[in-house]
Amino acid sequence: MVQEKRILYEHLDVPNINTFDVFRQHEGYTRFEKAIAEFQPEELAQMVWDAGLKGRGGAGFSTGEKWSFVPRDIEPRYLCCNADESEPGTFSNRYVLEKNPHLLIEGILICCYAMGIETTYVYIRGEFTLGKKMLDAAIKEAYEQGYLGENVRDTGLNINIYSHPGAGAYICGEETGLIESLEGKRGQPRNKPPFPAVQGVFMKPTVVQNVETLCNLPFIVGNGVEWYTQMGRTYGDTRFDPPKADPNTGTKLYCISGDVNEPGVYELELGLTCTELIEVAGGLRGEEVKAVIPGGSSAPILTHYELDTRLDFTSLTLAKSMLGSGGIIVMNETRNIVDCLLNIMKFYAHESCGQCTPCRWGTPWVRDIVQRIADGEGRQTTITRPKFGVTESGRWGDTGETEEIYEDLDLLENVANNIANVDTMTWNTICVFGIAVSWPAVSYLRKFRPEFEAAIRDSKLVTLSVAEATVPPEENYAYQQRFIPKEFAEIQETTED
Amino acid sequence: MSDEIVQIETPFQFNEENKQEFDELIGRYPVKEAAMLPTLHLAQRQEGYITPAVMRYVAELLEVTVMKVKDVVTFYPMFFEEPVGKYVIRVCHTLPCALRDCKVVLEHLKTKLGTDIASETNLAKGTTDDGKFTLMKVECLASCDVAPVIMVNDDLYKNLTPEKVDEILEQLPN
Ligand SMILES: Cc1cc2nc3c(=O)[nH]c(=O)nc-3n(C[C@H](O)[C@H](O)[C@H](O)COP(=O)(O)O)c2cc1C
Ligand code: SF4
Ligand code: FES
Repeated sequence: MVQEKRILYEHLDVPNINTFDVFRQHEGYTRFEKAIAEFQPEELAQMVWDAGLKGRGGAGFSTGEKWSFVPRDIEPRYLCCNADESEPGTFSNRYVLEKNPHLLIEGILICCYAMGIETTYVYIRGEFTLGKKMLDAAIKEAYEQGYLGENVRDTGLNINIYSHPGAGAYICGEETGLIESLEGKRGQPRNKPPFPAVQGVFMKPTVVQNVETLCNLPFIVGNGVEWYTQMGRTYGDTRFDPPKADPNTGTKLYCISGDVNEPGVYELELGLTCTELIEVAGGLRGEEVKAVIPGGSSAPILTHYELDTRLDFTSLTLAKSMLGSGGIIVMNETRNIVDCLLNIMKFYAHESCGQCTPCRWGTPWVRDIVQRIADGEGRQTTITRPKFGVTESGRWGDTGETEEIYEDLDLLENVANNIANVDTMTWNTICVFGIAVSWPAVSYLRKFRPEFEAAIRDSKLVTLSVAEATVPPEENYAYQQRFIPKEFAEIQETTED
Repeated sequence: MSDEIVQIETPFQFNEENKQEFDELIGRYPVKEAAMLPTLHLAQRQEGYITPAVMRYVAELLEVTVMKVKDVVTFYPMFFEEPVGKYVIRVCHTLPCALRDCKVVLEHLKTKLGTDIASETNLAKGTTDDGKFTLMKVECLASCDVAPVIMVNDDLYKNLTPEKVDEILEQLPN
């Protein structure tokens, strides 16, 4: 069985690790000191790039690359730590904030030093009252100990960290929504470009980074790039010639919930399969896996045929899903997919910020269609198209044959695809919330169509067996097109031969 | 004249403690407007909900128009524009909690408190007659591993069953 590899969470359960003294006993702040003593800021940024750290907040964008877009000649620059964690199924940042806030502060310090940043805002979701309290206390201690404030530890650096509470809006997790919200406005995302790296909060260059991403920095600095890249795997991107390294290195705080025996956060090397993760989490609660959501509710669903997919950024993207925030939700054979989709669509209809018409109207529309199907009022129509053949009278003509179609299912896919088209990956909206709506809607429908059809046919929710409910792999669009990535070293070997 | 409705508004001002906290807050941002959310949180903690007087006061403090404050207040679900109960009970009902029977908890709370579920535009609907509780549904509280969960004011309660809900309600001071 795969073993947990606790790095970020290693000292999480040490009593009083939230206090400065205990944190200090567990190598606390030594990595920041090492960074200052041994590296120039530019070297650090290069290290993070070389380590292959990818953003853990959702987009999975290379952190080192993102930092390289920040113009170093415009002052001041800001860091926004994204602690808005509201993607359904995700709960790893919460534990960091509540139990080990000094680790986050150390990560922030390293990022600030590397990017020449003086001010950091930690945007904490409004419901995290305990997390904010713990972080505020830790920040206060860090100021007292001289790790924050003016002239940090006699290095001449000025670094300030402020926590900033959100107020219950999911969309403030989106980076530009977060920035707007931080500026004291409605959290409505901005058009990109300009990207926050160039014009972010207060129209200044801003690095937006998830809590977990920042918590990785002390370990990269402390143990080196070599050590870090040994965890996880590096694939080769064969779209480039010669193939380009595509790192999925480090560990991930996998949050697993739903129908497993021991839900919780498990820190594991990136790249184990769904099946392995379910095993680590105490096994399935129930008889059979019906479906798995691999990356928070926005991610397209996986069927039981796809459980061998590796849970890392590249593999899931190639399986037409995403790792997103790493929130894995497992559903067993008793679950009804229509019902699950209804729940998720209610969430999105509630959380749309209302700026773009396709999202503002489309999302409640999708919800209403699913609601109608779940209520047993799904629309089914008989259509008559002229169909030529030998008629009853023995002549050649229109035979008057009819065809039954599930009108609501076509409508559902159509509306969802017009918010954001999941096949072409183009969206008609300002932010990618649009994709987060149509991805689940379309993937649930396409992969579990028999269950939707049954609900319409029988005018009530019917939970089919797993085998009956799932579209077989030959007809599963994602399964058909999926592509298993090869490891970089392997590709290099074959090309060398 | 007699049938004219005159609404008497209680004026609002930060108390000493909150004023101090506000003064500390405002120094954190290059523009005053950015202190909007923390300031509104402070005001709501003091007043219970965001009254028109609060909005006017905050607008004055942050040097923005009242409309801008209103704009923000209406956007965020955590700000209330109507009075709420002493205890606000937030029941999570998103998918992971739904998979762990949050419906049972919600129904139990409804019968136990004898109230409906508040909607964002009608908080009174979910508030008990004695003004002690307001019951509302919220989206994922980022604690899906210990689902189903509820929040009572600032405190999170985990792995709930109807019995546990009873215990929690009993130990709340009046
Ligand atoms: C609708 C939406 C919601 C998001 N919610 C969060 C969130 O709650 N927490 C988070 O860290 N990132 C969230 N993101 C991703 C952020 O936009 C951004 O990519 C991330 O904070 C960047 O940090 P990273 O590179 O460290 O991951 C969300 C994105 C979208 C489109
Ligand atoms: S896509 Fe939706 S959430 Fe994003 S900006 Fe447009 S309306 Fe707002
Ligand atoms: S769904 Fe209830 S806490 Fe996440």
